[in-house]
Amino acid sequence: MNPVIPGPVPVPLPAPSGLLEFLLVFTFILHLLAMDFLLGGVIILTVSSFLGRRDSRQHEFTRRVSRVMPPVTAFTITLGVAPLLFLQLVYGQLFYTSSALMAWYWLAVVFLVMLGYYGVYGYQMQHDEPGPKASWVILVTAVLFIHVAFIFTQNMTAMLHPQDFYSLYANGRVGTILGPVTLPNFARLAHFLVAAVALAGLGVALLSRRWQTDSPELADWGRRYGVTWFMAGTLVQFLVGLWFLFSLPVEVRQALVGDKLAVGILLLAIVLALLALLSAPKSLSISSVAMLGTVSAMAVLRHFVRTTSLRPYFDPHLLPVQGQWVVFSIFVLLLLAGLATVGWMLYVFYRPAATRGASF
Amino acid sequence: MVIGIIAILHVFVSHFAVGGGLFLPLTERKAYRENNPALLEYVKSHSKFFVLVVLVFGAVSGVGIWWSIGLVNPEATATLIHVFVWGWAIEWVFFIVEIAAAFIYYYGWDRLDPKTHLMVGWIYFGAAWASLLVINGILTFMLTPGRWIERQTFASAYFNPGMLPSLVLRTAVCIALAGVYALITSSRVSDEGLRHEVVRYAAQWLLAGTLIIPLAGLWYISTLPRMAREISMGAAPAVTIFAGLSIFFSALVVAFTYFGPHLRPRHFNLVFALLLAVLALSTTGVTEWVREAVRKPYIIYDYMYANGLRLADIGRVREQGVLKSALWVRRHEVHPHALERAGEEVFRVQCASCHTVNGYNSIRFAVKGWSWVMIDYQLGHLSALKGFMPPFLGTDAERQALGAWLASLNPLPAGIAIEPEPPAANSQSTDGAGEGAPQQ
Repeated sequence: MNPVIPGPVPVPLPAPSGLLEFLLVFTFILHLLAMDFLLGGVIILTVSSFLGRRDSRQHEFTRRVSRVMPPVTAFTITLGVAPLLFLQLVYGQLFYTSSALMAWYWLAVVFLVMLGYYGVYGYQMQHDEPGPKASWVILVTAVLFIHVAFIFTQNMTAMLHPQDFYSLYANGRVGTILGPVTLPNFARLAHFLVAAVALAGLGVALLSRRWQTDSPELADWGRRYGVTWFMAGTLVQFLVGLWFLFSLPVEVRQALVGDKLAVGILLLAIVLALLALLSAPKSLSISSVAMLGTVSAMAVLRHFVRTTSLRPYFDPHLLPVQGQWVVFSIFVLLLLAGLATVGWMLYVFYRPAATRGASF
Repeated sequence: MVIGIIAILHVFVSHFAVGGGLFLPLTERKAYRENNPALLEYVKSHSKFFVLVVLVFGAVSGVGIWWSIGLVNPEATATLIHVFVWGWAIEWVFFIVEIAAAFIYYYGWDRLDPKTHLMVGWIYFGAAWASLLVINGILTFMLTPGRWIERQTFASAYFNPGMLPSLVLRTAVCIALAGVYALITSSRVSDEGLRHEVVRYAAQWLLAGTLIIPLAGLWYISTLPRMAREISMGAAPAVTIFAGLSIFFSALVVAFTYFGPHLRPRHFNLVFALLLAVLALSTTGVTEWVREAVRKPYIIYDYMYANGLRLADIGRVREQGVLKSALWVRRHEVHPHALERAGEEVFRVQCASCHTVNGYNSIRFAVKGWSWVMIDYQLGHLSALKGFMPPFLGTDAERQALGAWLASLNPLPAGIAIEPEPPAANSQSTDGAGEGAPQQ
């Protein structure tokens, strides 16, 4: 039986699909960086929070890190809007279908995120009057966000399997179907969780550098602590990544291994990850830049897996295009102006003359 | 239902996000000019409340609307995204600036000098209002798509007839809601003298906003399609009642504010403030509900019906039937021996985006006591008899199958035998193909 896939809407794309896919991957990388810091951050904070009940250094560490979490949450959500927008534009008919099949779980994301967001704020405010409650607040928050990650990985995998849509639909209760028959895809979830913890480790190590002025000892400890998380996570990732690679459908894996460019990108990602791993104890800057490269390469590879999985059913390049170039130019100009404005605000906020007390 | 609840709460919070963005820097400037440190302290505490409400609830509920419309009406959502993706991308840029500015404003009270801090406040407001500017055009497009129907360009879609009046209307709502929220926080100020001053000041915001609302509202209504105006003014009783309630609640808000905090700030307290907030939320709720309701039977006026069928497809669907091209059905044709099963499929494809069988807008209840003949007649003249519903689209066999299934939902009590033989096979649907079609 032919796979059942709704047709795309008969309105032309407002730009060539290649440009839209580029923006999809690019904005996804931005989202990924914030999301990794958030998800991995709440996991690290949970561990540190429980340790911090008897360890004052851990406690001070969680207090300082907890203050950056609300803005990180806000940016994770906002930066996530753009890739979801472009995803719906190019792959809407697949994404809407897989979302509808798991509708109740998918809708739950909104409430889980809102609760988690208030959890992040609640945790930060608990630190004003320290008590054992804080550790439980952050634990619940971490569980909430891991659930969100799970629902996302399920949906993003499910939309790649349109051949399963109809049988899922016919055999399940619409709205409660969590994904293709062969899943849940725990390999993908594990891959993302481990990556998040590793990147957040790197993130808190970078953050600790800012404490050098008022608490050099804590800054030093925080840097080593973060680097430990990063290195442990990255080492585990070599195994989890392999597990994920072998959990891909055979034809997709074969296509990936058979494609020179894809193999090159994968190797680049691995080499950069190794470089990041080795340089982390000595130079956080080199390590961070290398990791940025790994994340970007992985996001490109992810897109390769998506297009390869969908090739038998759907090719976005065949969609009609009617460019809206004027509005697109306005978007680009405003994006540049917007980034400049944010840059200026960050500059005035962080400029040394204005720093008072503990920096955050 | 879910969309409705999320949407109303989002509207209530997001308009505050804009209005509050104006309230904060203006009040901060007032505090500097009058050299009033107590007022400045109030602005500081208000900004914390603002950040907690707006950044968390406003942002997440906004994403939530997207989540739910994509689930309930993917065809319309996909169409909107195809037309407006760069609009949304631009709005996204404003969101980033808005969020960064809100955090820096909030965390920057002690770090930035007054001038820079105020500047950040203005940047926040500029970005917040600009995001309203973008989304407002997309919202009004759905009800008044204007020339887009022929031209299909971004400009013709965005600069639609309802865009400008709606922008003025929503800006006024933002100012009024800034007053509502400020009344909540000002009622908690402990210093009595300052409390009276701030309560009165907040009440003036609310009154100023509500003065503009009726004028902008009338202007907006004048741009609506004729049928939409008729629905709100009598053609559909429920909608008319809600439209009336909207005016009634607004009048209550104005009266309570004028005679309460404005004239007697001394007697104002948190309970009163929350009562006003509930009234304002009710106003928002019924008004947004009416705005959604008058768009029926369309989801994008003159282009797509509420059930996702495009007007352009009417001819094809009438000829081939709705099951033939539907994907999520178990049978693509009507068999005389399984009429009711096919009817259920037709229901799911064509009716289920607005009706459930037993729950919200229950169809079992709607057809209670109707015979098959009666149901078939109604289906055949749907858009004429019920102006807010799309015409039934499909072959005669499909219409009869749907009728058979609907009739089977409410078995008549034994002894009442009005159920005759099925409607004559040659009965013709009189809903003309052009009915409800755009007047071009």
